[in-house]
Amino acid sequence: MESFKQAFDLLFSLDKELLQILGVTMRMSFFSTSISCLIGLPIGALIGTRRFRGKSFLKKIIHTWMGLPPVVAGLMVYSLFTHYGPFGKLNLLFTVTVMVIAQCVLITPLVIGLTSSFVESTSRPIIETARGLGLRSPRIVRLCLSEGRMSLLSVVLNAFGRSIAEVGAVSIVGGNIQWKTRVMTTAIMLETNKGKFSFALALGIVLLIIAFIVNAAASWIVKEKSDD
Amino acid sequence: MIELLNVKKIYGDRTVLDIPKLSFFEGEAVALAGMNGSGKTTLLRIMANVLKPDSGSVTAPDNILYLPQKPYAFRGSVIENILIGAKAQKEKAQELLFKAGLSALSDKPAKSLSGGEWQKAALCRILIRPCKLLLLDEPTAALDAKGTELVSGILKEYKENTGCTLIFSTHSPSLALSAADRLILLRDGKTEADGKIRKDVDKPETEWENLFL
Repeated sequence: MESFKQAFDLLFSLDKELLQILGVTMRMSFFSTSISCLIGLPIGALIGTRRFRGKSFLKKIIHTWMGLPPVVAGLMVYSLFTHYGPFGKLNLLFTVTVMVIAQCVLITPLVIGLTSSFVESTSRPIIETARGLGLRSPRIVRLCLSEGRMSLLSVVLNAFGRSIAEVGAVSIVGGNIQWKTRVMTTAIMLETNKGKFSFALALGIVLLIIAFIVNAAASWIVKEKSDD
Repeated sequence: MIELLNVKKIYGDRTVLDIPKLSFFEGEAVALAGMNGSGKTTLLRIMANVLKPDSGSVTAPDNILYLPQKPYAFRGSVIENILIGAKAQKEKAQELLFKAGLSALSDKPAKSLSGGEWQKAALCRILIRPCKLLLLDEPTAALDAKGTELVSGILKEYKENTGCTLIFSTHSPSLALSAADRLILLRDGKTEADGKIRKDVDKPETEWENLFL
């Protein structure tokens, strides 16, 4: 109970550092989810709607990539952006930008995999009807995405959930720098390591509240659009 | 000419379609009949190129339209559904809806229509487009006798206007008699009989004709 009280106190006290951490968390999660969905939704829908050689093999690779440990993804991105890495000159290591990149490496396969599975399993009548009408692939993909928007919303929220809750990759490439790259999860990890369990739990509750608000808002928007 | 050569489709250990040779001539109207699981839908889906055969080849024109057994109703009104991806004008869609007796439903959400109403609307959605080969999977399955008669008339008119080849599966002898001039009976994935349809319902000449009619 003490943690819950502390969580609400934290939220309503408008603590500057907490607001900054929340801002970085939301910015990182928003951009990584958006970029992953922009790439992953059409690719997933295309894989789900098309028949081609090697599709089964490609799906196996995507499903394997979906299980990539965040720490490994973090290390991969770290090695690319470290001073001696191929993109070292960009000086992006320990910035929010590289955290977004690491998150995209993790989340894009998840979006592709979930979208293609959804499209394949539920869109057969849509695809068959659309093909029967002589519609071309881009149009069929658009129809599948439009008709299945509620299911796709869960794909997007899943991606957002993974992004906002992720700690391994962002701590490696972001470095958990105060006032710069600290996000909710890395802050929780830090507070736990310092022995401030109650405060860490309060931060966790704040994170849950934020995730709940985003989920509810997204569901409401899609429902409103459906009712139009 | 549309031609199927050595077309086979196998699911597990069951051969659902095994057609050594089957030809359809341009402008023909063909009814496919047979019991459930006889291979009618599989044959139509293969010809429509929505299903790949395990072996064999299909020669068919490019411009094919196919109406599945359960056509999907997209989001939006009936008229929006009919015009989806079509080059036709709204007036033509309304004219088709009028012929199908659905004028009053044109602005209703497509998903709110009854099974029979939607089947007719889905047929309108297909028939607003021109084609060389029209494939229909049980287009009157959800319709009563009057609806079947109506659809038969609409199909004949479309065929006259476009000169397309029409192939449809059906369990309705009245649709086969009124809209087709050739009947193919399928059993266990094979063509059991194939011949010119006779219009004399009371005097079937062969056993298979008797069976269907």
